[in-house]
Amino acid sequence: MSELRKDLVTGRWVIIATERSKRPDDFRRNNLDRPAERIGFCPFCEGNERKTPPEVYALRPKKTPPDTPGWRVRVVPNKFPALNPGKPVQKLTQGVHQWLPGLGVHEVVIENPDHKLELSELPVEHISDILGVINSRIEAIETEVQYRYVQVFKNKGREAGASLSHPHTQIVATPIVPKRAKEEIYGALQKFRQLKECVFCRKIRQEEEEGKRIVLKNEKFIAGTPFASRFPFEVVIYPITHSDHFTDLSGKDLISLASILKELLGKLKATLGDPPFNLMLHQSPNPAASRDPQETAAAYHWHIELFPILTKVAGFEWGTGFYINPVSPETAAESLRTGF
Amino acid sequence: MNDKKKKILLVEDEKALCLLYEEELSREGYEVTSAFDAESALELLVNGSFDLIITDIRMPGKDGIELITNIMGLRRDIPIIINSAYQSYKEDFMTWAADAYVVKSSSLEELKNKIKELLES
Repeated sequence: MSELRKDLVTGRWVIIATERSKRPDDFRRNNLDRPAERIGFCPFCEGNERKTPPEVYALRPKKTPPDTPGWRVRVVPNKFPALNPGKPVQKLTQGVHQWLPGLGVHEVVIENPDHKLELSELPVEHISDILGVINSRIEAIETEVQYRYVQVFKNKGREAGASLSHPHTQIVATPIVPKRAKEEIYGALQKFRQLKECVFCRKIRQEEEEGKRIVLKNEKFIAGTPFASRFPFEVVIYPITHSDHFTDLSGKDLISLASILKELLGKLKATLGDPPFNLMLHQSPNPAASRDPQETAAAYHWHIELFPILTKVAGFEWGTGFYINPVSPETAAESLRTGF
Repeated sequence: MNDKKKKILLVEDEKALCLLYEEELSREGYEVTSAFDAESALELLVNGSFDLIITDIRMPGKDGIELITNIMGLRRDIPIIINSAYQSYKEDFMTWAADAYVVKSSSLEELKNKIKELLES
């Protein structure tokens, strides 16, 4: 029997339709499923620094000049961006329509110089360095109030939207808070007023009590499959201590996050055979540009969403906003915990 | 000043467009050689010398992105301009192998400016 489940924060409904599927193991990919890499040249590889715009940030030995080999993590602006940096602008109107010039920041974090070295294969310290670099870039971008929201995401694999397999993460800052972020923040604020506490903190407590959707936990972070998971093996990582913004993280937190992320990616690989995935950071808007930063800080809880691309979003999902998930989050969590 | 004409390799499958570009760019003082597909472009590159390459992306056979990656294997010192009717290919990070991306338009001014900029830099 299928089940309709509601996401507590966004109010989004999903259909957990396990009889449509398939055992978790049916989602495991083998090498033949993967599209072949069509390239023989990569602009992100070490030695090809001239093919990228000048770096805005890099972890490299002090003696090496910018835009030369020797770096460990490198951040460059998008060479052909959809949005361009600029001064603050007002929303403009054209009859009933609103519009804005294409203001924004789009940067690429090249995670390591080696084309084939995946995030999950890097040492925890290197992953922590990448997270620290992302942290620094968010801080730098948010000094400019015209950027109201900073989105960090990683696409791995062609089916997840990655055009290049060299491991990278993207940072996009926009002059408006995107609709999905707004909905989630609005939902969190509503629940905060009702529960008198952060709804995510409440959820984390309940998940810890129930245990059946938790995949991993360390001293600072918890990873689990959401009660109303939209996709098979969707996973969320939360900081256990309340925090609304990624830049609240200290050096030790970054190590803990790097550690749980590495372990989680390893489990996804072991269980599902290295699937393509999307990973997204959800955090509160730029506090310097927010109308009510204090209430948002109390009500919202930053987190990382990760979902492997195992099913296709089609007409029903686009038309209704409902999702049909053929693997229950409890089964997915158990599979990830045990590796089967 | 060097009076030698700068040589441009134009890779474009629409022959009418090639004629238009050849005419317009010759008027600017460039020597333009057209290739109607990626394979012919690679052959021309192996056997000739060019100062700049302009390539379309959507072409029969190898597309422009594949062509650029092949060029990177041959030589990396020739500036490349992607000239596509589509903005969407900008999302493909392989386009970074090129030096500029100019969306096709009825005016060739942006393309001419980019050619000048790249040949002078």
